Amino acid sequence: MPRLFRIPPHDPRITGGVLVTAGLALLGTTSLWLAALGLEAVALAFWTWARADAAAEEQIPRWAWLRRPALALWLAAAVHAVAPTLSHTAPGLHGTLRMLTRVEAAAIVWAGLELLAALPLARPYSDLPGPLLKIRPWIPVLLPAAGFVVLWRQATHWERVPEARAVAAILLLVTTLLATLRAFGRRQWTASLRWMVVADSALAGMLVALGTVSAEMIFLLWLASCGGRAFVLAGELRSAAPRRGAALARLWRLATWVSATALAWPVLLAVGFGSVSGPRWLYFASVGVPVALASWLTVRRMVRAPERRLVPRPGHAVTLSHVGAVITLGLGPLALLGAWWGGLEPSWPGSVVALGPAVVGGWLGLVPERADRARSRAAREAARAPSGAAPPPPARFTSMLPRLGRLARAVARAVFRFVIALEQRAVGLVFGFARTLVSPLRDLHTGDAQEYLLFLVGLSVLALVLPLLT
Amino acid sequence: MTALPALLVFAVAALLLALDRRGQAPTFAFLPLLVLLPLAAAPAWIPFATGTWTALLIALVIAMLARDGTDLLHGECAVKLLWVMGPALALSCAGQALLTVATGTPVVREQWGVLELGLDPSFLWSTSLPLSMLVGLVLLGGAPFHFWAADMFQGARPWLGPLAVAALQAAGAAWLGQRLAGIEAFPEAWRVAEALLTVAAGIAFLAGAATLALQRRPERRVGTLASLHGALVLAALAAAHGRAPSGTLFDVRIAAWSAHLVVALAGAATLARFLPVSGGPAAPGAALFRRHPVTGWIALLPLFSLAGVPGTPGGMLWLATARDLASTGRNGLLLALAIAWLASFATAGRQALEAFGAPSAATPDRAVAWQVRLALWATSAGIALLAVRAYARP
Repeated sequence: MPRLFRIPPHDPRITGGVLVTAGLALLGTTSLWLAALGLEAVALAFWTWARADAAAEEQIPRWAWLRRPALALWLAAAVHAVAPTLSHTAPGLHGTLRMLTRVEAAAIVWAGLELLAALPLARPYSDLPGPLLKIRPWIPVLLPAAGFVVLWRQATHWERVPEARAVAAILLLVTTLLATLRAFGRRQWTASLRWMVVADSALAGMLVALGTVSAEMIFLLWLASCGGRAFVLAGELRSAAPRRGAALARLWRLATWVSATALAWPVLLAVGFGSVSGPRWLYFASVGVPVALASWLTVRRMVRAPERRLVPRPGHAVTLSHVGAVITLGLGPLALLGAWWGGLEPSWPGSVVALGPAVVGGWLGLVPERADRARSRAAREAARAPSGAAPPPPARFTSMLPRLGRLARAVARAVFRFVIALEQRAVGLVFGFARTLVSPLRDLHTGDAQEYLLFLVGLSVLALVLPLLT
Repeated sequence: MTALPALLVFAVAALLLALDRRGQAPTFAFLPLLVLLPLAAAPAWIPFATGTWTALLIALVIAMLARDGTDLLHGECAVKLLWVMGPALALSCAGQALLTVATGTPVVREQWGVLELGLDPSFLWSTSLPLSMLVGLVLLGGAPFHFWAADMFQGARPWLGPLAVAALQAAGAAWLGQRLAGIEAFPEAWRVAEALLTVAAGIAFLAGAATLALQRRPERRVGTLASLHGALVLAALAAAHGRAPSGTLFDVRIAAWSAHLVVALAGAATLARFLPVSGGPAAPGAALFRRHPVTGWIALLPLFSLAGVPGTPGGMLWLATARDLASTGRNGLLLALAIAWLASFATAGRQALEAFGAPSAATPDRAVAWQVRLALWATSAGIALLAVRAYARP
């Protein structure tokens, strides 16, 4: 083969990395064509990695769904190309323009929601690690991030379409709840972190749908919360770096809790005390429960990693983890300050109540740790006592905590599995129905030449008879 | 606009024919190709789409298929075409004769004026008009008549299949264009024709999209994509309300459509021979793509264009039709077109990924024949040329 037509040997890791970086960069633009191209590049990157994976047969089908959101964005871009003067703010849209705005909004919302695991088609993808790379447990984090960026960057095309907004808000609410339940149900901290990124991105998507905070501040709030968790997850793959040392672990616990609370607070304010119509207490509770659970998880599971070495390796006093934690800690409140500066002025009672779920969840997360600490202190004191008295028995409630925790995790796992099974059943039913409808297309033509004639004669008779009947 | 793509396609067909007849004495098979080519690449060159000319074209294709008595697949395709095209043409000619009897003139443009006088009972022309359009619908290959195109791509040789399908589809477009010339002079007849075209285009889009989702053989997928292009013509005709269907604008559109169709079909049909039958995303890739990956990438261009991938000349045809439908407020048909476009775009992407497939350690020993690779490069160059022209046009 001539040298010119030979593809130089390439490393799929690098090819995929370049594609995914370019794809995410394109997603950040406002052009629908570029965004669609970006999502296509992300899908291609996953395919490149999956193809080179040792378990390619398993990995390629696992990530094949990624082309669906890309297709949805292509459709949105095509709608815009069909009607270049399409305006979402024009009053009294009707006819074709009205239909086109709805199709465009539906396509963008579909793309964003599917990446955010908010549609019942590929929801459980965060349960499994990504393909090929050493950082494979981290890779799925890219997808909810991409989903949020699609919803956030293309908000002008869907947030003014009431139907799209309502559907998106409801689906994102359900996703927040399910993702938090799954994060709680998973024993592995890395898997939990992946699901918490999904939950945070869904909350940020809800904020876009609610439109109470400016777009820039929504992005900062999302960046603080999801960026912090993504950093922690990346650190977990490097010997749990953010949890090495008591001070650093505490700093990260505070930073992730503050950033997640900063993200959840305006959402709770909007659904509980904003201009949302309907039963507000129900909306508040629906958001409050996952927020409290996520807060509990953040505080409870972000514990100091046990030191396995007898003599700890000396390190820098200030590491990248310290810097990351401080940025995460500052970004959320800074974004809220920006939102307040931009006109977000909630009532005092509302503000306090909206903080409730996160504070309660965080406090409950500290209870077992405090009980443990008190118990070990009592045990130390008992050992030091000259009489050699036995340590006091743990309180009844604290002794029940581990068992309660196991039970709660099992319930969370069962609920998640039940919902996923139900969804998959429903999706299977819809596809089965569609297959039943379409299968006559196959039976219509079995390949016999005579059938052609019979079919044509049948149609011709129909063509003759129909005008006579009308 | 059409000469260069036509020459390119002829060169490709000649290359593939020479490869097919390797070691045999030169044949006259080139000559019918020379007749088919202008008909496929430019339906405007068809002198007048009368029953005789259309019958001659159909007979030529059937004769070329039936010529090789030992090739069973060719024979089967010939029989199938004979069964479907013959009666359709007969019915359409009968419809045309009825209209002539009713109006007293064989000139189509004059017939509408006579019918406008209201001298004849309406059921006579409202029955004969759909009948006279029938062969146009069948030739365009829109569902439910889409099976013949897929059969041709699966059964006929790559040097004949695409050219024959493009010629027949172009003849269908020319037939409908001629049949509906000046129909706006008689609005009632236009309403009947418009309803028929709308229903036919809608069914063709939706059934084509559903068929693409079910098909596993790449040749048949190319056939269905060709039938969707037939549906594009039906939709463009349906959207031509208030404008003469046979007017300059429509002729320009059909010229661009047919020039693209013949090149894209030639490329996609040649490529389809080297693509694997769909065995899921983790099946091993095709030998062409493992041995000649650059050629594989380049060869995907005609398939992508046929599927209407944005940026390709085929994509621009889809977009132009969608704009026509949007400007005339045909929302239902526009939605059906969107569904068909999504299905064809998804199919092209899936086909490309399946072509590369899961990695395989073994590289095929034998190279793909240079004639085939040259044909693939040439058709891709043709599509690129059409794209440049389309973008250069103001």
